[in-house]
Amino acid sequence: MTPLSRRTFATAALACVLMGCAGHPNHRATTAPAVSTPPPSQAAARAVHPLGRSVPVGLRIPAIGVDTPVMQLGLAPDGSVQVPPIQADDRAGWYRQSPTPGQVGPSVLLGHVTVGAYGDGVFRHLARLHRGDRIVVRLENGASAVFTVGDVRTVAKTDFPARDVYGDVNRPELRLITCGGPRSGDGYLDNVIVFATLSSAVP
Amino acid sequence: MRRTVLSALALGSTIVLAGTVPAFADGPSPVPSTRPGAAAPAGPSPVPATRSSAPSAVPSAAPTRANGRGQVSVVPKGAPDTGVTAVSSSSGSEGGLIGGGAAAALVAGGAAVFVVRRRRATGA
Repeated sequence: MTPLSRRTFATAALACVLMGCAGHPNHRATTAPAVSTPPPSQAAARAVHPLGRSVPVGLRIPAIGVDTPVMQLGLAPDGSVQVPPIQADDRAGWYRQSPTPGQVGPSVLLGHVTVGAYGDGVFRHLARLHRGDRIVVRLENGASAVFTVGDVRTVAKTDFPARDVYGDVNRPELRLITCGGPRSGDGYLDNVIVFATLSSAVP
Repeated sequence: MRRTVLSALALGSTIVLAGTVPAFADGPSPVPSTRPGAAAPAGPSPVPATRSSAPSAVPSAAPTRANGRGQVSVVPKGAPDTGVTAVSSSSGSEGGLIGGGAAAALVAGGAAVFVVRRRRATGA
């Protein structure tokens, strides 16, 4: 073999080895997600039928000991969402411009983390919720919508993710919102947001 | 002859290898797509997966606009104010007390030093 042909052979061999290396991870990567991704989302989408419109009247979150009546909230004069009144017997509130729990869309419930001189609010332990925890919303028509927590986020109020919270979705979802994070003056700098999806319904 | 064949083989392999470059570029993409897949099952999978990167830039504009046609008929402005702290006023007065005390101590110390130096200077 001449030096030139030896070099050519070496180049060819290297090219073949590289091709072999490139092939494997690619193959692995494409097969893995194809198996893992679709089933959960399909199952979640198929699992529960949306409920009809009925106003929420009660909220129970066993994991953090919440069992509270639910009032209705609208908009404040400045265009922000109303919050429940500051009082000793603090309760949660449903934003009435959002879908009722169990309807397709993001149903929004709010509660205080602390209520000034009265101490802790109804959502004082909201940030302790974890993925998989259950949330039960009692509706005016006697039915209950059971949601499962999918995500708990603490976000700066200055970067409030309005689209994630209020944006359209293709299934019944729930948002629980309170305050959290560091305090500043007489308020908090962050919001704690719980994202949950409808997992079952009790008529 | 052999050299020609080997050269052709090398050239062919190089071309094929060049063709696999897009496959290399494809490589990393399954990594993110597996992660959302794994993160999604219990969660609101479509929402974070499709929107998680966008919101930070958008929210400032979105809340100010009333979204008349969405599932949420009117999107509120800003972030909800769902926490009122009571301790702030009392902690403020405590802070004032501490600050005042420290200032008084400094003034007293300064006066003492001044008096001592003056006494020494006058030889008393």
